[in-house]
Amino acid sequence: MTGEVAIRVRDVSHHFGEEDDARHVRALLDTSIDVARGELLCLIGPSGCGKSTLLNVVGGLLEPTTGTVEVAGKPVRGPMPADIAYVFQENALFPWNTVFENVMLGMLFQGVPKAERDDRARRSLEAVGLAEFSDHYPAQLSGGMRQRAALARALSLETGILLMDEPFGALDEQTRMILGEDLSVLLSRTDKAIVFVTHSLGEAVFLADRVAVFSARPGTIKQVISVDEPHPRNPEFVTSAKFTALRNQLYSLLHDEIRKAMSESAMRGGAGHRGSVAGDSA
Amino acid sequence: MRRWPAIKRYMLRHPGVARLGVVIVLFVIWEIAARWFIDPLFMSPPSSVLVSLPQMFEISGVPGALRITFWELAVAFAMSVAIGLAVGLAVGLQPFSRRSFMPIVLLLYGTPQVTILPLFILFFGIGPASKIAFGVSHGIFPIIVTIVAGVQNLKPILLTSAKSMGANRWQAFRYVIFPHMIPSFFTGMRLGMTGVLLGVLLAELYVSTAGIGYFTTLFTQNFEPDNLLGLIATLAAMAIILNELVRRAENHFARWRD
Ligand SMILES: Nc1ncnc2c1ncn2[C@@H]1O[C@H](COP(=O)(O)OP(=O)(O)O)[C@@H](O)[C@H]1O
Ligand SMILES: [Mg+2]
Repeated sequence: MTGEVAIRVRDVSHHFGEEDDARHVRALLDTSIDVARGELLCLIGPSGCGKSTLLNVVGGLLEPTTGTVEVAGKPVRGPMPADIAYVFQENALFPWNTVFENVMLGMLFQGVPKAERDDRARRSLEAVGLAEFSDHYPAQLSGGMRQRAALARALSLETGILLMDEPFGALDEQTRMILGEDLSVLLSRTDKAIVFVTHSLGEAVFLADRVAVFSARPGTIKQVISVDEPHPRNPEFVTSAKFTALRNQLYSLLHDEIRKAMSESAMRGGAGHRGSVAGDSA
Repeated sequence: MRRWPAIKRYMLRHPGVARLGVVIVLFVIWEIAARWFIDPLFMSPPSSVLVSLPQMFEISGVPGALRITFWELAVAFAMSVAIGLAVGLAVGLQPFSRRSFMPIVLLLYGTPQVTILPLFILFFGIGPASKIAFGVSHGIFPIIVTIVAGVQNLKPILLTSAKSMGANRWQAFRYVIFPHMIPSFFTGMRLGMTGVLLGVLLAELYVSTAGIGYFTTLFTQNFEPDNLLGLIATLAAMAIILNELVRRAENHFARWRD
C-alpha cells in the first residue's frame, strides 16, 4: 500500500478567468497531497469546491495557476497518455464507434502497436464483463454498461495512474453499488494509483484507501481520513461498524462545508445579479 | 370486400408501392391531358417523349451538350464540397471566427445570386466556367452553414477525452470531429447538390452556346415538345441519380444512429 509516490501535488492553486473579471473564480487554493502506487484516493466535498479542477490539473488538462504536479517523477505540462488514463462522469465514448472500436481507438491515440491492440481490447472488455457487448454502439447500452466500457478503455491503456471523475455519478444506487464492488475487485489486482472523485459518502468509504475531504470554495483539502481495510472489499464491509463509523465521521466533516458552500453561493448569486445590472447600464 | 384489409396492410408495410402508384397516376393524367386536351405544339404525352428519346440523342450536339452539362455539374459540386468543407471548418471550429465570419456567410446565403448572374458571365465568359462558378456560388453556402452547425454541437468532453488519451490534432479531426459532422456534412451535400443544379442550369438557360441551355432554347423556339421534354427528363434523371448517390453514402455512414 505504502509504495513509492505516483502523484505529487504541491501547493497547487487554480483560478478561472482574469483577476479583475467578474467571472473570476478561485477554484482551488494551495492544495498539496501525495498518492502512492497501489493506492486509491477519494476526493469528496461540496459541489463546486474544485475536485474536478484538481483532477484536471493532475491529468494535465488544466495548467495550475501556481504550484506543481509531478507524475511518475516527471512534471506535468499537458496530457500524459502514457502515464494517466481518465474515466469521465459524462459519457465520453465516441457514439459512432462500437464498444470495441472505442477501446481500440484509445490505444491508437496512445500509440500502442497495432498487433497488441486487439488482444488488450479483448482482455480489458473481459475484465469489466462487457465482452459480449463488444459490437454494440454506446446508444444501445445502459448507463452502467457505458461506464464499464469507459473503464475498459482506460484499463486497456495500462497506465500507472487512473483518474476517475464521478464515474458512477449519473447512475442509480443499485448499479453504482455493483459497479463499486466490481471496481474494488478489479483494482485489488493492479498497483495503479487512483484518484476517484465522488459525492457519495458510502462509495468513498467502500472504495478508498484514503479519503480527502475538501473545504468549500476556494477549495482545498481540509482533512484526510484513512480507511484501513484490504481490497477487494466484500459487500459485508458496508454493514460493519467500522464502515458506519467512518461514514459518520465523513458526514460530520462534510456537513459544515456543504452549509458554508450553500450560503456562500447564495451570496454570490446576489452579487452576480447586481454586477450584471451594472453591466447593462454601462 | 373481405380483401380490403389485406391490401391495406400490404400497402402500409410497403410504402414504396403507394409511391409508385402516385407516380403512375400522374403519368396517366399527363398522357390523357397531352393526347386529348392540350395543343401538341406545347405538350407531348410521355409515351411519345419516351419513343422519341433515342432520336433526340441522335441530334448532332445533344450528347455533347449533356456531357458538358454533366461535367459542369460534377466540377461545380466537387468544388462546392471542397471549398465548403474547408471554409465551414475554418469558420466553425473556432468561436472567434464563427462570431466574426458567420454573419457574412449567412448574408451571402440569403442573397438571391440571380441578380448578379450577368456579372458571372462578364467575369467568366459564356463558356462552362461561368456555369461552374455560378453553380458553386449556389452550392457552397448550404454546405458551409450545415458544417458550421455540425461542428458546433460537438460535445467538448469527446475532444477532451481524445486529447487525454494522446490524440494529436489530425487524429482529433479524423476520429472525433469528422465522424461527428458526417450527418450534417451529408445534409449539406444534398442541399449543396440542389444548389449546384439550380445554379448551373440557371446559368445554362441564361446564356449558352454548347450546353443543354442552347438546346432547350432551340427546342422551345422550334416547338419540339418531344425533344424538349426528353431533354428535361434526362436532366431530371441526372439530378435524381446524383441525389440518390449522396443519400446511399449517407445511410452507409450514419448506421451508428439507430
Ligand atoms: N472552465 C471554467 N471556467 C470558469 N469557472 C469554472 C470552470 N470550471 C469550473 N469552474 C468553477 O470552478 C469551481 C470548481 O469547479 P469544479 O472543480 O468543477 O468543482 P467540483 O468540485 O464540483 O468538481 C466551481 O465554482 C466552478 O463553477
Ligand atoms: Mg466535478
